[in-house]
Amino acid sequence: MAQVSVHGLRKRYGAVQAISDLSLDIRDREFFVLLGPTGAGKSTTLRCIAGLEQPEHGEIRIAGERINEWSAAQRDVALVFQQYSLYPNYTVRENLAFPLKSKLRHFTPQQIEERVAKAANTVRITHLLDRRTDRLSGGEMQRVSIGRAIVREPRVFLMDEPLSNLDAKLRELLRAELKGLQQRLGTTLIFVTHDQVEAMTMGDRIGVVNKGALIQVGTPYEIYNTPRNTFVASFVGAPAINLFDVALDVEAGTALDGAIGFPLESSTCARLATLPLPPDRRVRVGVRPEDVKLVAEGGIAGTIYGAEHHGVEIIAIIQAGAHMLRATIPADYRITVNQPVQFAFTQDKLHFFDPLTGESLRQPSSPT
Amino acid sequence: MADIEIIDAEKRFGANHVIRKLNLHIAHGEFVVLLGPSGCGKTTTLRALAGLESIDSGEIRIGGRRVDQLPPQQRDTAFVFQLYSLYPHLTSFDNIAFPLRAANMPEAQVKTEVNAVAKVLRIEHLLKKRPSALAGGDMQRVTIGRALVRRPEAMLMDEPIGALDAKLREEMRAELRRLHIENDSTTVYVTHDQVEAMSMADKIGVMHDGLLQQYDSPTKVYDEPANLFVAQFVGSPIMNVVDCHCETSSSGVTMQLDGMAAPLVLGARAAAKLRGLAAPDLALGIRPEAVHVARAATVGAVPAHVHLIEPMGAYDIVDMKVGTTPGAGATLRARTASQFVRRQGEPVWLTLDDARTHFFDKRSGFALRAGA
Repeated sequence: MAQVSVHGLRKRYGAVQAISDLSLDIRDREFFVLLGPTGAGKSTTLRCIAGLEQPEHGEIRIAGERINEWSAAQRDVALVFQQYSLYPNYTVRENLAFPLKSKLRHFTPQQIEERVAKAANTVRITHLLDRRTDRLSGGEMQRVSIGRAIVREPRVFLMDEPLSNLDAKLRELLRAELKGLQQRLGTTLIFVTHDQVEAMTMGDRIGVVNKGALIQVGTPYEIYNTPRNTFVASFVGAPAINLFDVALDVEAGTALDGAIGFPLESSTCARLATLPLPPDRRVRVGVRPEDVKLVAEGGIAGTIYGAEHHGVEIIAIIQAGAHMLRATIPADYRITVNQPVQFAFTQDKLHFFDPLTGESLRQPSSPT
Repeated sequence: MADIEIIDAEKRFGANHVIRKLNLHIAHGEFVVLLGPSGCGKTTTLRALAGLESIDSGEIRIGGRRVDQLPPQQRDTAFVFQLYSLYPHLTSFDNIAFPLRAANMPEAQVKTEVNAVAKVLRIEHLLKKRPSALAGGDMQRVTIGRALVRRPEAMLMDEPIGALDAKLREEMRAELRRLHIENDSTTVYVTHDQVEAMSMADKIGVMHDGLLQQYDSPTKVYDEPANLFVAQFVGSPIMNVVDCHCETSSSGVTMQLDGMAAPLVLGARAAAKLRGLAAPDLALGIRPEAVHVARAATVGAVPAHVHLIEPMGAYDIVDMKVGTTPGAGATLRARTASQFVRRQGEPVWLTLDDARTHFFDKRSGFALRAGA
């Protein structure tokens, strides 16, 4: 069992508060992703768990045991970085064997050989075992790095942007491989990334971090479908969610903002009636591009500003007054730049946020 | 009129053959993206157009005029690099005005020109600011403004938005495309990012190992890739490519994939691509959105099981293995509605969109075409 819990973590570098009061409970055998922009504090959190940094406040537990005072080696975790950090003059076999030769561990040469063979087979590098690591491609090197982490059979894997240096195609392949590997091994894995696609596709759960604080924890579906604030809503999803402010008139059933005005469906009015709306009834609407559709009539008027043909679909960029909205539409639609269009929203998918705080407007009783 | 013509261009760096027999015609007003992995020759091609690199043999013509022997300043092209490369001590206005003043343009006209370009780029409010006070996207707009202000015959851009964050890149894609339309310019743009290429280009030139692989509209490159390299470089999620064994029998053309209990009879449009083919061992290519998944058996559907589910938000990518033996069988990925399948191991039934099957010769990598 290797749950990892972090409570009240704080870490400062000089004047920079890297982490302010962060708490996390990661389950045994979970693939947990810490997602956030550069400088959010996600790597620092990972390094505190690894024992490479000391927090100035807060407790870190693995399998229920406080480990703050333990050295990095005693914690029985394995780290994989973006840089491969392999020994260039050694073979893949020697690189894999290296962590097992530590004096802290007592493995016989035969045990080492068996473990290396098993790890190599797991990450599919058996054919590379006798090659020097400086003769490998980027993808092969990262496989060796992961192999070197699993050879020790640690309680927890910690990975810091391990796929970032690879090209797009290899990243896509390794994503699926890594998720499959973690499931087969059944080892708790904490994965740090700034790439929302990696987080969505691999994580059992995602923790979104910004400015040293944890904003939301949830499954990929929860994070995408019920973002807690506009930061999470915009950070996750491509093309990005459309955000614009409107004045609501729930009684009259309208949402208005100069160029964008649309009637509220009765179910939307019913939903809004349960939400704690700001006194001035101004809200920030969030609508994902797949929930904006072009309609023949009765929609909001706009003009096509741009059309991106992505093969599987078209991203239409629609100008409506000062707003630019993105809509994903079927690949066989014919649209041209400057063409007037009308659009509407799938209203049960609309998100409503407080324009001042950016927080999602939720029913007072609903859990976050 | 600034059409660009590259004829039989060759370039070597020592033993490294970076451009091989390149022929490319770019019509006036076109937005052409040179796409490929690092080291494919795309940047060298762009630099050769600008005159920053010479070619060993061949010709380059811009607007009908042969320019390959001319120095960069006589070619009338403007180059935008990935780095912002603005003068830090000058305001945005002075940065944009720099190339005009260098050409001794009268100050009144400089002002008119800079303001005109600032309006197009929507950076009028930034003109008094220095680069250090600008956000990344704004800085890149100013850089583009400086390139545009000379009204060059051709705009050459080398990964200009690669360093920006995802959201800003999305916005800049639309802006650059728009700018190209409004300026009626000819643009050549280099990137390794297929999303940028697909979203902005009139035509994409896919390069690999110094060789032009295909030169076509984004839709053609996506729907009719010339070979395996193009097929798997363009599109995300990646096109499925799996080994297949095809045979012509009395019941028509059949295809066998790893894990299938019985061969699948292909529809007419797929069969047409295979007619009269000698080598039956081919690779099947099919895009994830052309693999249709059902949760109940239907006539002609192939049994498979769910291996992995990757949520993307707007949809899921589902990795499946053909057949019913856990973990065995050919892997096919499909794009499905979000949460359409719920768990790993779940049995599913697949149909392949007949019109969207691709077959590749495994040895040469070339795509087979109907009637060829």
